[in-house]
Amino acid sequence: MKILVCIKQVPDAEAPIRIGADGRSFAVTGGAWRMNRFDEFAVEEALQIREAFPGTVVEALSVGPARAAAVLRRALSLGADEAIHILREGEEEPLPGEVAALIAAYVRDRGYDLILAGVMAEDDMQAQTGPMLAERLGLPCATAVVAETIPPNGMTIRVERELEGGLREALEMPLPALLSLQSGINRPRYPALSHVLRARTQPMMTVRAGDLPAPPRRERVVLLFLPAPAAKTLFLTGTPAEKAERLAELFREKALL
Amino acid sequence: MNAEIVVIAEVAAEGQPAPVSLELIAFAKSLRRNAAEPIRVFLPGRGIGAAAAELARLPGVAVTGIEGESLASYSAEAWKEALAPLLAARKTRFICVSHNANGADFAPGLAVRLGAACITAVEAFRIEAEGPIFSLSILKGKLQMEIVPEAETAVVTLLPGAFRRGDAPSSPMDKARKDGTNTTQNETVLLPEEFRRKEIPPTGVTTLKEKKSEVQGDRAGPPAAEMISVPDIPLKTRPLGLLPAPDEAADLAAAEVIVSAGRGIGGEENIELLRRLAFLFSRAAIGASRAVCDAGWLPCRYQIGQTGKTVSPRLYIACGISGALQHLAGMRGSQYIVAVNRDPQAAIFRVADVAVVEELVSFLPLLIAACRKHREGAAEAGR
Ligand SMILES: Cc1cc2nc3c(=O)[nH]c(=O)nc-3n(C[C@H](O)[C@H](O)[C@H](O)COP(=O)(O)OP(=O)(O)OC[C@H]3O[C@@H](n4cnc5c(N)ncnc54)[C@H](O)[C@@H]3O)c2cc1C
Ligand SMILES: Nc1ncnc2c1ncn2[C@@H]1O[C@H](COP(=O)(O)O)[C@@H](O)[C@H]1O
Repeated sequence: MKILVCIKQVPDAEAPIRIGADGRSFAVTGGAWRMNRFDEFAVEEALQIREAFPGTVVEALSVGPARAAAVLRRALSLGADEAIHILREGEEEPLPGEVAALIAAYVRDRGYDLILAGVMAEDDMQAQTGPMLAERLGLPCATAVVAETIPPNGMTIRVERELEGGLREALEMPLPALLSLQSGINRPRYPALSHVLRARTQPMMTVRAGDLPAPPRRERVVLLFLPAPAAKTLFLTGTPAEKAERLAELFREKALL
Repeated sequence: MNAEIVVIAEVAAEGQPAPVSLELIAFAKSLRRNAAEPIRVFLPGRGIGAAAAELARLPGVAVTGIEGESLASYSAEAWKEALAPLLAARKTRFICVSHNANGADFAPGLAVRLGAACITAVEAFRIEAEGPIFSLSILKGKLQMEIVPEAETAVVTLLPGAFRRGDAPSSPMDKARKDGTNTTQNETVLLPEEFRRKEIPPTGVTTLKEKKSEVQGDRAGPPAAEMISVPDIPLKTRPLGLLPAPDEAADLAAAEVIVSAGRGIGGEENIELLRRLAFLFSRAAIGASRAVCDAGWLPCRYQIGQTGKTVSPRLYIACGISGALQHLAGMRGSQYIVAVNRDPQAAIFRVADVAVVEELVSFLPLLIAACRKHREGAAEAGR
């Protein structure tokens, strides 16, 4: 079986974020970038399928500037077999419609049996890329998948999607198919030393975005802004002990304690 | 270009229009340039006649029920097949879909099929001369992004509940909005009302107010919904039915105080600290973000949020929770919210009454000691 995992490099949301002078891009202090957490689950799921179906090949793909190669190295160090970097210059993040079109242009006719994506990217939170890619490739698709099994013949896949209120929907589809995975479907592993060493030197395939058919741009980012802190929020000040004392007092005043 | 705005509605389990669909209709109405612009509701399903008729009673709304055997249960494939030809023919400006589990599943693919723009998880918008500018949260709510479609048609998914509360949307225009409209803390589902555009300042962010009486609609005899039936759609995907939510002891629902763990607690071993804090309150319980349940630090039944429990305790203490919308969806109704997080930009602070920027593992023992002291003080005084 041949599996493709789509991985996005996202800023570490804990690092202080600044908005660029253009008002439409952001920079992360210290340049802290990492693998989208939802995609860590996708890598793990692909590796588990490979364990169940020996001979399976797991390829990781990311669209982004040169720095995005780091998440592909990470995928290799977790155990992915190959990495494909669709090199798209420019610091401003592409929107999902563009990413899906670029990935589709690369993936078409390459014979993947299963494509995995994360349910959403932690930065743009749009949850579009997976289902858009499936549509472009004419593949059946299920989003927010929390469980998946492939019967031994490897022809179909049975999935459970998460709905509201803990309810799940089960469905079965023929392969090839695309799934967007919800967090919690597995427990992502840590990189094994042998893989880490291999990942350092293993060549990656690089495809220039400019060499692929131009993707559509049907949306335009107007402005990014830091939402104003809520006027009602009281930020406690002082030493940690003073803050603790003040908070305990507040609990008393509100008759909560 | 067609001025029409389309809403894709859905039926709730009881055969009634889903509450999110009413919210969507209100949203669609507020996107109109003037009150004469038509709103067209498409309702796919099987046996949806009653729900379609119910929707058709709403003022200013024309309803098309799409009946089909293949639409008996939700399927992205069937929804796209049934809707795309109808929508492509109409060249509508906006197609409004709920950003719930099903909407988020089919809307992006539908947009690709229609060659339309796609803007998802919209929380607020403001109307400018060139049309609405949508705003949504990015980076777990740390930033807001404003975005506009650049295609004839745009598929827009609306975050469920975003238009239910006056205090939800935020934007640079927030202040103008707050000054101009009376916000409501009310949690009841928003019911559609005629949008009075004149009242909205040209650059104001729009929030919608509630008006219950209108669910009855026009009493002068309900206008009929148009019903069309679609032939069987051959589907690759085979639905295998719904699996019930696991039955869980819901002590979270009864708790008056919830001490909730996020990824920032750093590990399972620190849950004990939260337990010790919770122990100081009466009727207290431990809760968790999804990240904590995913990591196996606490079982799934502790999860609070969009895909977990909805809680509204008297006191909610969020420990190391970033404040992603999906988490806020389950706890923002809490009466008093305290957040402890080492990142001063964390989105959780925007819903908090009290914000503590600290390292949890060192702060919680101090808080526990201070609370214990105050409790004992109270006990002394009461003697
Ligand atoms: C369809 C869908 C449904 C979802 N449903 C839910 C849901 O029901 N409930 C839910 O919770 N999530 C849900 N999520 C996930 C959600 O988007 C977030 O990923 C999740 O809420 C993040 O959990 P967190 O805040 O604990 O972790 P993070 O976002 O990683 O935040 C950790 C926080 O801890 C702080 N921190 C770190 N270390 C320390 C320290 N030492 N001291 C103090 N603070 C520290 C950090 O600054 C950060 O703000 C859903 C996502 C999707 C796509
Ligand atoms: N630049 C990218 N490169 C590779 N995969 C991506 C990229 N952007 C998004 N994806 C995939 O699409 C999923 C959803 O992203 P989004 O639609 O941006 O919320 C992510 O979890 C990834 O699996």
